[in-house]
Amino acid sequence: MYIIIAGCGKIGANLVKNLSNEGHDVVVIDPNEDNFAQLENGTNCLTITGVSIDEDVLKSAGIEHADALCAVTSEDNVNIMTAQIAKQLYHVPHVVTRLYDPEKDEIMRQMGLETVCPTMLTVAKIGELLEKTEEE
Amino acid sequence: MRILIVGGGNVGYYLVKTLMAEKHHIMLVDSSLARCERVENAFGGAYVEVTHGDGTNADCLRDAGIYHAEALIAVTGQDQNNLVSCMLAKNYFGVKRTIARVKNPKNIRVFEQLGVDSVISSTARIAGSIDQELDWADVNALLTRQATHVRVREALVAQSSPYNNKRLNEIGLPKGMIVVCVVRDGEAVIPDGTTVLQPDDNIVILGNECDLPQVISNIRGETK
Repeated sequence: MYIIIAGCGKIGANLVKNLSNEGHDVVVIDPNEDNFAQLENGTNCLTITGVSIDEDVLKSAGIEHADALCAVTSEDNVNIMTAQIAKQLYHVPHVVTRLYDPEKDEIMRQMGLETVCPTMLTVAKIGELLEKTEEE
Repeated sequence: MRILIVGGGNVGYYLVKTLMAEKHHIMLVDSSLARCERVENAFGGAYVEVTHGDGTNADCLRDAGIYHAEALIAVTGQDQNNLVSCMLAKNYFGVKRTIARVKNPKNIRVFEQLGVDSVISSTARIAGSIDQELDWADVNALLTRQATHVRVREALVAQSSPYNNKRLNEIGLPKGMIVVCVVRDGEAVIPDGTTVLQPDDNIVILGNECDLPQVISNIRGETK
């Protein structure tokens, strides 16, 4: 698959690593060039310096023939806008959006975006661990 | 009409001022307490209600009274925030009309395709005027008639200018003077306080005619 990752933070960098190890073609976009230093040496991917809510940047990342896009910048609204451009304007088949705000996560899911909310995942996991401790 | 405005910076402030004069009922949301207070102190009352909060958050929009709004106007300085406010208004709250300001002129098409009813880009408008080789003489003739002391001038930033590589908010322009537009590499940018001036920037500046000559010679790096 040809995959675009918007945002090269901790999640973005690890996503790039996993996906390229699995043999996917990966392009990663970040406005801050220094963030690409987080990519491990020898990681096979293209890097593009720019903001992912700029159509020209997305085009240079090859959005017209991308199979998937993951919006994982640190800003919820940037992720929403990036995902909307990918989904509605370029009809990218698979678009995943990371949102920190659980309320926004819920609403955007109702509007048809496929979302991941690390906040709620963490809350659920901690709850699960506490329950387990209680049982022991 | 009941109108919800998201963003109380300069655009939002003057929008409130203009719309309230036309007897509209205004609800304004901004994430900065200082900006909220500025609008509240100037216009607060029965027809202007100010809410401090994140205009891209559904709860906050609800508190601000979005259910009563017939239109939402998003004029923060960030395109992504303006889009999310309009999306929530239109698709989640069913507001009839959404209007957004964009900084990047290329986002006009993006916003329209994503369902925002009207999209405004001052950058595109000014760039359009410059493309038409607008003659400053005409503008100045108009200004002379309407506002006797105000003039508009254009100047190129020189390598030797004391303003070079400085932010607009640190060059200390005289009171009442504003940089309307910075043309860089053929593109017109609407600056804010954090815009850094660079050599070869072409600057369009509006201000009192007494102060302009000094500022213009500073821009051009001419020492006196």
